[in-house]
Amino acid sequence: MKYQIVIAGIGGQGAVFLVKVLSIASAITHQKCLGTENHGMSQRGGSVSCYVKIGDFYAPAIDEGQADLLIALEGNEALRNIQYLSKERGVIVMNAPKNFPKVDFETHSIDAFKKAKAKEFPIDALNVYMLGVTLALDAHFPFTCKEIEEAITMMNAKVAEKNITVLHQGINDTKAKK
Amino acid sequence: MKQILMGNEAIALGLIHAGVDMVSGYPGTPSSEILGNFQKFRDKNKLEAYAQWATNEKVGFEVAYAGAISGKRTCATMKQVGLNVASDALMSASYIGLKGAMLLISCDDPGFYSSQTEQDSRSFAKFARIPVLDPSTPQEAYDMVKLGIEFSHEFESIVMLRPVMRVSHAREICDVDDALHVKANQGNFERNIPRWGAVPPAGRFRQGLEQIDRLEAIKAWNWDHLIKPKTHALKGETILCLTSGTGDGYVREAMSELEIKADILKLDMPYPLPKEKLEALFVNYDKIIVFEESFPCIEEQLSSVKLYGKLTKHVHLIDEFSKDKVLAALAKADVIAPSHAYQSEKYDQELPKRPPNMCPGCPHRDVHYAITKVFKKKKSIYTSDIGCYTLGLNQAAIDTILCMGASISMASGFSISDPDKTVVATIGDSTFMHSGVAPLINAVYQNHKFVLIILDNSTTAMTGRQTTPERTNPNQIDIKRIIEGCGIACHEYVYEQDLTKTVDFMKSLQEAYKTATSPVVAVVREFCVLDKDNALGRLGNVVVEVDEDKCVACDSCITNYKCPPMHYNDAGKMEIDPFLCAGCGSCLDVVCPTDAFVKKEEK
Ligand code: SF4
Ligand code: SF4
Repeated sequence: MKYQIVIAGIGGQGAVFLVKVLSIASAITHQKCLGTENHGMSQRGGSVSCYVKIGDFYAPAIDEGQADLLIALEGNEALRNIQYLSKERGVIVMNAPKNFPKVDFETHSIDAFKKAKAKEFPIDALNVYMLGVTLALDAHFPFTCKEIEEAITMMNAKVAEKNITVLHQGINDTKAKK
Repeated sequence: MKQILMGNEAIALGLIHAGVDMVSGYPGTPSSEILGNFQKFRDKNKLEAYAQWATNEKVGFEVAYAGAISGKRTCATMKQVGLNVASDALMSASYIGLKGAMLLISCDDPGFYSSQTEQDSRSFAKFARIPVLDPSTPQEAYDMVKLGIEFSHEFESIVMLRPVMRVSHAREICDVDDALHVKANQGNFERNIPRWGAVPPAGRFRQGLEQIDRLEAIKAWNWDHLIKPKTHALKGETILCLTSGTGDGYVREAMSELEIKADILKLDMPYPLPKEKLEALFVNYDKIIVFEESFPCIEEQLSSVKLYGKLTKHVHLIDEFSKDKVLAALAKADVIAPSHAYQSEKYDQELPKRPPNMCPGCPHRDVHYAITKVFKKKKSIYTSDIGCYTLGLNQAAIDTILCMGASISMASGFSISDPDKTVVATIGDSTFMHSGVAPLINAVYQNHKFVLIILDNSTTAMTGRQTTPERTNPNQIDIKRIIEGCGIACHEYVYEQDLTKTVDFMKSLQEAYKTATSPVVAVVREFCVLDKDNALGRLGNVVVEVDEDKCVACDSCITNYKCPPMHYNDAGKMEIDPFLCAGCGSCLDVVCPTDAFVKKEEK
């Protein structure tokens, strides 16, 4: 199997955390995985994009027109990275308000900021929440909920319980909306 | 044992497994996590090993080098521009060689993700005549650390490892050693004046000749051990791709995905190359194309009319590789028809720009703001330096950035060349220790008159908050006393999240400048908002809002202060993004001419 994911967001939202979780999930499921993170100059509030390539890959970066999935922790960051999606297979899962511009891809969006403002979940768990949304939506997503839970626990057992709760909140909110 | 490792973690683990127990260097993206992870592994496994940040790369290099000539296995880490600083020592050390082993790790940054230049450390290896290993993935980086240390020991030469950002910051499931047999290796310096102390010209001349002999031996080794075994896999196609480092991954993927026929030969040690042996392979091919990041290091060592690369302008000259660039090069060399398999349309409407910016609540922003408020732009020149405060560029609060330490020496220069303007230099504490002290001494010694503000947040914030000298030894190393040691007064300000106070402090410096005959030097005691220990209790807790009736959309806050949460809403009024705002409250009193920023509540 080959599956390529772009994770986009703003510095401070925890995109890098997702790269780690997804690479642990790959290891659990015995798949090769190559990920890269873009950090350094980007402080809090700057654009951040990360790549996860699952399967037989050698080059660390994802090329334009190649990604299967774009997880965007913020709507405009989804648009900024749209060229990485495959025209045939590309799916977007994003955190964006209702009145967001339409694009030519299968798009699933949820207004997670609104939910965080209403204190439905803590904003610093936005990344995990969006991973839950992805699990509920993307039929081709290469991991099961169980595998992701296991990866989250391996990452940091201390905060795993809290994170898994938010993960399920993302899954349930999405299913309720459907 | 399989482990998921980021490139820099793999390198750190490789160092431990290679028996290295002395690491010194200076932080710099993308290299910074190597030393930090080495410290982590060391502590976890209760090993005895020295691993400390040095004040700069030259110092770091020299500390590790002394270890190596005493017979220890050592390592120096830095980024490519850091190697410029260490290059003075490297050039001599490469002549002299060593007795134990030393790996010099210099991380490159093709694509300028966090660097001023894109320079290729392999060119420096070539300049210094030392072998260089070029990994393409974290796994290879791990393996090459071990190879490099063994090799360094065998050839008594410093060996360079040069991972690029896409290796240092890539994450991969790596196969690493299980057992840990590491024990501290004891150094024992043996006096040998002709070798370690050789002075020009006779001694060094002989060492130069020896170095050339050594290079020939390394070339032969490179062929026998690294290149020749790979030639058996060549399939006799008409095109040969020579690759190195990450260039290899892009070529391999593009070739297999698009079913392009070509032989690929990856050069793990791109310098020194066994030129004749490699060129002998060329007779079987129509074209040889070199894919390497960033400079034409391999290409410059070979010659053939069949050779295509950067020098012949078939391969892009700047920026990191992509599969699209591989295809473009193949098309230019008439190997394939032009292809756009790796191109796609971007979103074509305007999106909010998010250039790198200081974190919300960062004290640096206030200092830059206060400087431009008091020392007016038309009458001043703002020199600055390398660190988070460089992002003051967004506030138009910086006129020049050159390299570490240059803010102070350039301030000296401007004070002579354009004396009617007030020069205001800004530099961070880590950069000041790195290379600001010598230019300050120069400025005092020659009575250059300018204002120097040292932004002391007691950490190397931009690269991930590594420790700085005064952080570790606060009672001994103190910036204020260093300045006083130069015989001048140090103006001190303990930062508060109250812009009025920061502006008033700048006014006091302006007063002092009026009568000064030498530099006016100040230290602002700050903190980094991401630094849990230091920022504790100093971060804000207010919820700030913009009163839409008062906001006249004059742009003044967004151009001069530029805190990331500030943006225009649909009504064309300023709004604060509550998810980004740090609640510091600095913007409340000074930045808005109509006082539109208001405090809503305590968080
Ligand atoms: S990392 Fe620290 S020093 Fe750098 S911009 Fe953020 S708060 Fe300021
Ligand atoms: S309170 Fe004002 S200055 Fe502080 S982070 Fe929020 S918007 Fe920026």
